[in-house]
Amino acid sequence: MTGFLQGLWLVVTLDLRQRVRTVAWYVLLGVFVVLVAGVTVLLVLATNAFLDGGGGVFSSIVFFVLLLGTLVSPALSANAINGERDAGTLATTQVTLVTTTQIVLGKWLAAWITALAFLAAALPFLVFAVTLGEVPASTIAVSTLVTALELGVVAAIGVGLSGLLNRPLFSVAVTYLVVAALSIGTLIAFGLGGASVQSEVRSVNHYVDWQVVEEDGVPPGEEPPCLPPQTWTYDVPRFDHVWGFLAANPYVVVADAAPASFDSSGTPTDLFTWIAVGVRQSQHAPELEVEYDECANWTPNGAVIDDDTETPEAVYERSVPSWFVGLAIHLLLAAGALVWAVRRTATPAQRLPRGSRIA
Amino acid sequence: MAGIEVSGVARAFGDVHAVRDATFTVEPGHVAGLIGPNGSGKTTLLLMLASLLRPDAGTIRVAGFDPVTDPAEVRARMGWMPDLLGSWASLTVREALVTSARLYGRSTDAARARADELIGLVDLDELADRPTRVLSRGQKQRLSLARALVHDPEVLLLDEPASGLDPVARAGLRALVRRLASEGRTVLVSSHVLAELEEMADQAVYLSGGVTAAADEIARAARTARDWRVRSLDPERLRTALDAAGWGEVARIDNLGAIVPLATEEDAAQLIAHLVGAGVPVSSFAPAVGDLEHVFLDLSRNGEEDA
Repeated sequence: MTGFLQGLWLVVTLDLRQRVRTVAWYVLLGVFVVLVAGVTVLLVLATNAFLDGGGGVFSSIVFFVLLLGTLVSPALSANAINGERDAGTLATTQVTLVTTTQIVLGKWLAAWITALAFLAAALPFLVFAVTLGEVPASTIAVSTLVTALELGVVAAIGVGLSGLLNRPLFSVAVTYLVVAALSIGTLIAFGLGGASVQSEVRSVNHYVDWQVVEEDGVPPGEEPPCLPPQTWTYDVPRFDHVWGFLAANPYVVVADAAPASFDSSGTPTDLFTWIAVGVRQSQHAPELEVEYDECANWTPNGAVIDDDTETPEAVYERSVPSWFVGLAIHLLLAAGALVWAVRRTATPAQRLPRGSRIA
Repeated sequence: MAGIEVSGVARAFGDVHAVRDATFTVEPGHVAGLIGPNGSGKTTLLLMLASLLRPDAGTIRVAGFDPVTDPAEVRARMGWMPDLLGSWASLTVREALVTSARLYGRSTDAARARADELIGLVDLDELADRPTRVLSRGQKQRLSLARALVHDPEVLLLDEPASGLDPVARAGLRALVRRLASEGRTVLVSSHVLAELEEMADQAVYLSGGVTAAADEIARAARTARDWRVRSLDPERLRTALDAAGWGEVARIDNLGAIVPLATEEDAAQLIAHLVGAGVPVSSFAPAVGDLEHVFLDLSRNGEEDA
């Protein structure tokens, strides 16, 4: 008679009703809206959005929502289970006919829905950015969906840790550390990792002897006077070995998942694409034998053409996307946290954390 | 209907053996008092019966089912009132009860009807639509009792139900528990207030150091000398009469009268006959402690000697 979903929904509504009836929650949401509004105004002024379109504003607001969502979500989710245990209401739920799986999943869904409320509150500003123009529908759909998934991942990690750790304060702190590890830790690992593995580049340069050109001039159709080749070496960081760290960054996941948008000269038109290009650029190994030949690129009118600069679009096109790897890692982490929490919270309990009461 | 059967149950937390060897049976229609000093394992035992904690050894049957292998069957038939008071703070009393009934799989309508019924039963009508966080300790206790009854269970486990209740509510609780038992339900009540249990329980489970006392130990403890309190309108005459009858040595005289240790009920009958015969105006003659307390104190005393 109690279907799995019915019991699950009962736990979700019970959790939400307790959350929504606190003043603090509305204050938080209000502060959030004010912040997003302020950021939107500043972004419009900073990016000249009325002329260039809303791509930059839209992508920045999505990132801002992701930032605030991941900052608020641990506080709202990571005391879901151990907080109820402290309040003495977990055990009285566990002696009813809902299962531990329903309780843990229900609490996760409630925490996720709470985090999604922040995304919903930012919706007017996202719509505003879209009305500025130049934002493809696919970017809107994909970036919003992936942001929603990332908020679900944070909620799952929070609820999972609240089932594993005994003290609410501790599980909230650890959830923040996990969020920080994904958001900032991956950047640090990428930067330090790349810098610590360096390769030597040998650079050979053939320069035009400008002094001779200056004095004698070069008649049209003749070779310019060249200096003997100069060779030197220097070290470059090997980001191509560590770019995988960036794939696990939630901001990179959102940016890389959104369809790229370039203008006619191959330059990105929004923040997502700039980040995606940056991440994909670092996939490529640096050239370890560089040859720069000023003489060969000599043109009769005396100018030197620089022919091999690649546009960001070209870099983007010849690289592989990484967002699904990052998203898959996040989803696995979330599922693992929830499964582990279910096992640790299951009754009749086999073992109890030291000094804890089950009731 | 089957009641509660516990056999050889043990449970340790690390190197703390909370329950070592618990064995007892409570038949349907009976109220059993679970008695033991602080830290004797009462709550641990109740948690195992409530299907929340897995015993290390031994077998448990609650309403005929094993809480370890069939927790859902046990939970559908068992109501548990924890010693730790917890309530969903922002829900009203009515909502909390409706939600509990829904968690037991009742339909919304049935849950509402049951909540109304229970609010009347535990006398929380005036607070029914207030959030549970405004309740006092005793009121929370009554809400907790109502929640334990929400799915009309055949086995009731009550952990310290009387603590925090005022005398009127205590009397109500006693009457309710007796009525539930007379309907054929099985009730296990733990309490420190032995006088309270004395009036509710028709059998007792003594738990000391995680071990339940065996029937012969209880019988022996019940037979040991116990104190009787004698009050008289004329304390001087009482003292003289006790001295004359040879009780002067063992009797303790205080400003309320005298306390006399007597081995059997026969001795008590002889003593009062003697006092009345000697013309002492006796106004009160009764055991100084209740039956449960007497056995409990004697068992704990023996426990300490054994240790």
